[in-house]
Amino acid sequence: MRIASSQYTATMNSALQSTSEKVEHLTAQMANGLRLQRPSDDPLASVRLSRLARADAIVSQYRDNIAALKSRLQTNESYLGGMSNDMQQARDLLVWAADGANSPADLASMATSLKSLQDSLFYTCNSKDQEGRYLFSGTASATPTITYDPTAAPGARYTFTGNTATQDVVVGSGIRQAANVSLDEMATLLNQVEVAATTLASGVNVNTPAVHAVVAGALDAIDVAMNSVGSKIAGQGGAQNILSTLDANHANVDEADQQAAIDIGQLDYGDAATQLNSYTVALQATQKAYAKVSQLSLFNVL
Amino acid sequence: MSLIHIALTGTQAAQAGLNATSQNIANVATPGYTRQSPLFVSVQTAGGARSAAAGVAVPALIRFSDAYQSQQLWRAGSDLGQHASSQPYLTQLEQVMGDDTSSISDGLDGFLRALNAATVEPTSTPLRQQVLTAANALGQRFNALSEVLANQLTSIHQQRAATVEQVNALASDVAILNSRIAAAQAVGAQDSSLLDARDRKIDALADLVGLQVVDQPDGTRDVSMRSGQPLVIGAVPAKLAIQVNPNGSQTVNLAFARESFVVPSIGLGGQLGGLEDTEDAVIVPLRQDLADIAGHIATQVNGLLASGFDLNGAPGGALFAFNPGSTTGMLTLAPGVTATGLGFSSNATDPGNSDRLLALVDMGNQPVTVSSLGTVLLGDADTQLLGKLGTASQQNQAAQATAQTVRDQAEENWKSTSGVNSDEEAVNLVQYQQMYQANMKVISVANTLFDATLQMVG
Repeated sequence: MRIASSQYTATMNSALQSTSEKVEHLTAQMANGLRLQRPSDDPLASVRLSRLARADAIVSQYRDNIAALKSRLQTNESYLGGMSNDMQQARDLLVWAADGANSPADLASMATSLKSLQDSLFYTCNSKDQEGRYLFSGTASATPTITYDPTAAPGARYTFTGNTATQDVVVGSGIRQAANVSLDEMATLLNQVEVAATTLASGVNVNTPAVHAVVAGALDAIDVAMNSVGSKIAGQGGAQNILSTLDANHANVDEADQQAAIDIGQLDYGDAATQLNSYTVALQATQKAYAKVSQLSLFNVL
Repeated sequence: MSLIHIALTGTQAAQAGLNATSQNIANVATPGYTRQSPLFVSVQTAGGARSAAAGVAVPALIRFSDAYQSQQLWRAGSDLGQHASSQPYLTQLEQVMGDDTSSISDGLDGFLRALNAATVEPTSTPLRQQVLTAANALGQRFNALSEVLANQLTSIHQQRAATVEQVNALASDVAILNSRIAAAQAVGAQDSSLLDARDRKIDALADLVGLQVVDQPDGTRDVSMRSGQPLVIGAVPAKLAIQVNPNGSQTVNLAFARESFVVPSIGLGGQLGGLEDTEDAVIVPLRQDLADIAGHIATQVNGLLASGFDLNGAPGGALFAFNPGSTTGMLTLAPGVTATGLGFSSNATDPGNSDRLLALVDMGNQPVTVSSLGTVLLGDADTQLLGKLGTASQQNQAAQATAQTVRDQAEENWKSTSGVNSDEEAVNLVQYQQMYQANMKVISVANTLFDATLQMVG
């Protein structure tokens, strides 16, 4: 084939151009360590990367939720633990009060202690979060958990005004965990304790069967409530254990996803360096060839 | 015919050769220059058996050109122009849509994460506020992309208007050259430089729009678009004009003589074709897809929230305002929306209830109907659009690379026939020089012979 003189220049230009393009692409890859500079470099891989980013975003949110939920459960646990202690003290007082040797004055002073425990329990039941929402009212978080009505008949003055619905937190795909507990059992207990405290404060003899029955009733109510609260504390602890396991699972999935993203999206520096080297060699060879060829002219020897 | 006259025709022919060679050497670097060479013909006379001939004549200059190679060059130019003009738009879109931190996917992730976080304490104002912030950020992603698309569309329209003007200018240049070439050929004048100029104009035209070129016996060339509409017939150019339609799109009209045609928007080729492809196959559908997704999000979110109740037990207000016609505010926060006003609860008396919130959290896994994708999951819609765009861009890049190779090849072929090789010209130069010297020698010999004859007579 006949070659025109200007073809050498054209070939040289296009060789320089295409090699420069490849070197530029490699340099950009090496600068940010990404194999894909643009989606069109590998559309399928970029779709996979985008989906992995999606998965990573949601899994890390699940893990954040788990951490926040755990702290909520711990808060619940410590409130419930405090109530358990109060109930234990009230129980001790009532057991002591049931002793026939107590004088009415002894009973009256015990009633004072019992009353303060009753108030403490009542306030703990109506605990609020930092934004003034009731913790133990179920989903009726704007309503007090236990409402006290001084005008009602004794023994029915405390009522549970929350609900027993759960506030579910999303902790995994399709997995929800309740963040709250409802203290629906405490109204009965508070009513019984109030009746006992009022009775004991009124200068009665503990050996009177009616008084004894009141103390015994309050003791029974405390036992029932302590059992119930105890199992709720256990529930909070169990939930935290499950959340820890779930968190570890999420961490594993996240790590696997991140590894996959690295495999798909990260540049193999060794490979890139080798390619860069071969382009450089090709470029140098082209330049040398052009330098030689461009010196060849018949006019030089005429 | 005498010896001296034969030698004279030889020196004149050598002169013509030297002229052609020097012209070729002078134009070794001129783009589009077609090399020439004198055509030598020996002249016979009827001067009897002993009269050899009457020397050499140069009836014409040979122009080394191959019409087929030129056609190939123009076709390759149209293909290259078509793919090269789309690529900048595709690349920009890819960069905007593929950016990890400004993509719609990332915005949607952020919004879903904020909703997800709110499930921990659905009544918490900071968590609700975060939902508003993330919703606003999501809206901004849509608006930013929609603005990029609108800007691209504007830029395509401007480029098309400029290209049409260039086509008009080139078509009228070709028409003028046609008439000068016809005039030159009628009187047998040298017209190679005019032909070169016309070929270069047609080549420039082919970059802008796909062409069909037909040679006419009078030396003119008729140029028409691939779809058959004439651009130049003889000495008459056509005129293209842009018509802006009520929906903002453009139509190209062609006026030739007293006729006017609407240029079909398919298969134009060249830069005009590339712009058409980008507008019709990428930008306009993408705008629709974007509006589909934004509309779906607004409808779903607002619908769920409206069926719920806010922290104060009032029905939930709208979170998003969707304005499909707006470029800069396609998806924004609804006016007056507040953190407490988000209807996360399904029960007016249970502010801690999170039924609607939990339904919102699941939104990413729900189907959305997108015009160019069909029904896909909302969380995956942007990813699929990106994949589609990436594939379109990849295909265009591959097609552009192929077109470039074909064009390079066509140029090489054209140069192989028409380009100047300086070594070859050096050889010719030497050859014509020797031819000239030899003929001068013949004249000198003839002169010596004539002198000898005179002395004999004298």
